[in-house]
Amino acid sequence: MAYQPVVIDPENPLGYYTGIYLAQTADERVKRKLGPDYKGGGAVTSILLYLVEHGVVDAVVVARRKKGLYGETIIAKTPEEILEATGPKWSIVPYTLGLREKLTSMDVGRVAFVGLPCQAQFLRQVKMFPLMESDFSKKIYLIISLFCMGTFAVESFLNYIKKSYHVSPDEIENISINGDELVVKHVRGEIRIPIRDALFHLQHGCLTCPDYTGLFADLSAGKALKPGFTLLITRTKLADKIVREASNTGYLKLSEPDEESLRIVIEKAREKIMRSYKYLSTVL
Amino acid sequence: MSKPAILIYDLGGCEGCPLSIMRVYPQLINIANVYTKCLGKVDLDREYDYAVVTGPICINSPEHVEELKKIRKNSRVLIAYGSCASVGGIILYARGGQEPRPEHRVYAPISRVVRVDYAIPGCPPAPQMLISLLNCIRRGKGYFLDLFRAVALNPKLSGFDLMDEVVLNGLCVGCGACVLSCPTNALQMIDNRPDLIPEKCIRCGTCTVRCPRFSQILIQRSRLLQKASSLSRISGV
Ligand code: SF4
Ligand code: SF4
Ligand code: SF4
Repeated sequence: MAYQPVVIDPENPLGYYTGIYLAQTADERVKRKLGPDYKGGGAVTSILLYLVEHGVVDAVVVARRKKGLYGETIIAKTPEEILEATGPKWSIVPYTLGLREKLTSMDVGRVAFVGLPCQAQFLRQVKMFPLMESDFSKKIYLIISLFCMGTFAVESFLNYIKKSYHVSPDEIENISINGDELVVKHVRGEIRIPIRDALFHLQHGCLTCPDYTGLFADLSAGKALKPGFTLLITRTKLADKIVREASNTGYLKLSEPDEESLRIVIEKAREKIMRSYKYLSTVL
Repeated sequence: MSKPAILIYDLGGCEGCPLSIMRVYPQLINIANVYTKCLGKVDLDREYDYAVVTGPICINSPEHVEELKKIRKNSRVLIAYGSCASVGGIILYARGGQEPRPEHRVYAPISRVVRVDYAIPGCPPAPQMLISLLNCIRRGKGYFLDLFRAVALNPKLSGFDLMDEVVLNGLCVGCGACVLSCPTNALQMIDNRPDLIPEKCIRCGTCTVRCPRFSQILIQRSRLLQKASSLSRISGV
């Protein structure tokens, strides 16, 4: 098996990879969906569209934002469903029993999964080391992980916004990052929260998590420094082939990563490993 | 390179694990010389590169305990395969005295009796597991290998431990890996956190190794244990 064993090491925080690219969506539908002032990528959505429209996979499992900070996991089979799920997520969307039932009963062979590093770890284990016959190991075709510094403890964060800014959860329409501020749009206007303050409301479990980029995934993706660009890290031959094909068929534009984006991702990945050592030692 | 010798040995139980392994014999004989009852060759007196033991050890049965010790002595790598052998599993609930058997009362994972190198939960693990594991051991590194080594130092892992160590400890991130891994649906997500239905838990341990937090804790603890034991060796304690 071509898969390289994962070793978590602050000296080599990006782990094993085959390629790093700077990517930008070249798909008009994705651009339209993101709107003119959206600063994030869209590259992952474009790759998913390529996978489904070219019959590489039968379905993709993605999280879609439901309301405010909450989301749900969906199994998308059409471009429309994939586009629907575009955009940032702020909380972890758990895998549920319903997902397993649907995956095992649905007539789908190859599935691409998009999740957070912790979920990529789970999927890789399921794929490599099936501990149950009922595992959907054979259906896991591609694992895509989004960069993650931690997810919010939703209740605690919402409560903080309510207490400090008098915005109740139902009023929140959107949250985005701008520089080192979180911009919360709500029905009556918007508030800006320094990220530093928001960090108190990360889930405790995330503080011990050592994985920033998704070391267990085939493909890792996250924001690059340049607005509108996504940094892609391919970790398997399969992922590399898919990214190139998506570019050859006009879904993506690829370029060399700039040094500053690389430096930042390495720094953050190392920071997260060190943070996890620090917190883990307090819970053993 | 000559093929490694591998012993597959069942100590009892429901036979789910031996059956699961049997299904990969065709692949297994390509990569190893397989010694097992079903193929008509077992010899506990020769040396093996790998021994894969399934089923729990019955502490009341001196013959079995002796057999297990002999297997340990004669094999380079000992693998406790499946929930009963690795973490106890459902056989922990056996009280003895039921008709027609078992007569014995005390079943334990084999790591209570001998040193185990790798322990694999799963009730039973899917057939492909064994091949993946052997490949992984050959390559000699990686997170999951560290994890299965760590499980070998933990003769008790179940949904109860998951609740105690991760969920009630405030470390759960709500990823849902445990819920998807439980063969009996003993775990369900309530308000983004798993909750255990105790009567349904067969103590197979699967959820614990699939949890990103628990797996990390297990690996870290095993490192500390190893450090402590090498320190005590140096200082002669
Ligand atoms: S920080 Fe780690 S545990 Fe938390 S959501 Fe991100 S990947 Fe998962
Ligand atoms: S909760 Fe489920 S997976 Fe975990 S030990 Fe119990 S039966 Fe096994
Ligand atoms: S696998 Fe671990 S972190 Fe994920 S939901 Fe279950 S207990 Fe929580």
